Parts: sequence; structure tokens; C-alpha cells
Amino acid sequence: MVSVLSTPIDVSKIIAGIITPQSGGTDLFIGTVRNHSRGRRVRQLEYSAYVSMAEKMMAEIELEIRHQWVVHEVALVHRIGMLAIGDVAVVTAVSAAHRDQAFQANRYAIDRVKSVVPIWKQEHYEEGLAWVVGQHDLDMGGK
Amino acid sequence: MISVRLKVFGPLRDVLHESELLLAVPPPYTGESAFRVLASRYPELDQWKPSLRLAVNLTYVSLDHSLQAGDEISFIPPVSGG
Repeated sequence: MVSVLSTPIDVSKIIAGIITPQSGGTDLFIGTVRNHSRGRRVRQLEYSAYVSMAEKMMAEIELEIRHQWVVHEVALVHRIGMLAIGDVAVVTAVSAAHRDQAFQANRYAIDRVKSVVPIWKQEHYEEGLAWVVGQHDLDMGGK
Repeated sequence: MISVRLKVFGPLRDVLHESELLLAVPPPYTGESAFRVLASRYPELDQWKPSLRLAVNLTYVSLDHSLQAGDEISFIPPVSGG
């Protein structure tokens, strides 16, 4: 299950959607909007995405995970639009028979989402705004 | 010349002030050719070049990738999701 949403993320619905009768361990990562960044006070965050490519990249990440680990279900969900402090911006979750697979696969999931999926955030402060310039993961794709 | 559809995202929107435009690309019709045309129109783009990745039809490719008429391309600035 991968998606880019412009509405609030329902975390319990995601959990319910990925736990299967075979699953013994499910790992969940929740990324939320924090009130500070690089010494500045953040009021809100605005996320934008190249939605069609973002969902395609997220589907590829799910395939990469399934090649490397034995997992049951994978959920990668990112919200876009204007978010307030404490709002859920991203959720990644992996269910597996045992916790080791779930932990490892989900760590990989969130790291890949942050490094290759075309999504950008702009921080809004008391006084103005700035783009957050991340880093591309150069191991994959464009050489 | 071939014509491609350029999509613009993230901080590059502040440089191009457009979200989408048609770009006429001269020979040899590569990602690099497209970048050069664009940078001649928006000189500020040159400073971004080392950090951009080319996407063609929703897939990351190298800058020497050959473009086809009608391709959807984007120069992807460093991503910052999560």
C-alpha cells in the first residue's frame, strides 16, 4: 500500500491494513512536524510532491524491500499540503513473521522514502519561509 | 528540435516561476541539451546543476539520456520528504 495524500493520515487504519494472520511483528514509523529546525522556530510545514513519480518510486521501494526481506505487508504513506506542528507527515510500516525482518525492512523503508521520493518541504517561520534542501541518494537511478 | 513537457517542482519553482512548460530541445536531444536550453533562459539554474537529478517519464536517468518528442521530464532538486 503506497500513497501520497492531501488529507490527514489515519495511522490506525494503516496498521489494521497491514497486520495479517501470519504476522508476528509489525514495525511502524511515524514522522511528525516538529516546532524547530536548525535553530529556528517553525510554525508550519508545507509539503509538495511530484505525485505521479512519488507514488511510482514508493512502489519501487516496496519491491526493493520484498527482494531483501521476507515481509507480509508494506505501507508507505506521505501527506502533502500545509501541515501544523504535531501533524503526521509520513508513515511507513512493515509486517513480518518475526520482528527482525520488520525492524530492518522498515528502517530501510523510511530512509529510502526520505532520499529518493520526489517530495519537498518548505518551512514557515514567524518571519518568512525557506525550502529544506535535502540530499539525493546517489546509489540509485541517475548516475 | 523536439518538444518535451517539463515539470517543475520544489525550490526550482521559485527560479522558473512556472509549474509546467513546453521545452524545445535541440540536438543531440539529451537531458543535457534540455538543461542547457533552460539555463540559457534562467541563468540562476547553473548554480543548481550539481544537485539536480533528471527524471524522464517518472524514472531517474542520467543526464546523457536520449529524449524523445513528448517525453515528460523534470530536473529534480534535492528531495526533503519525511
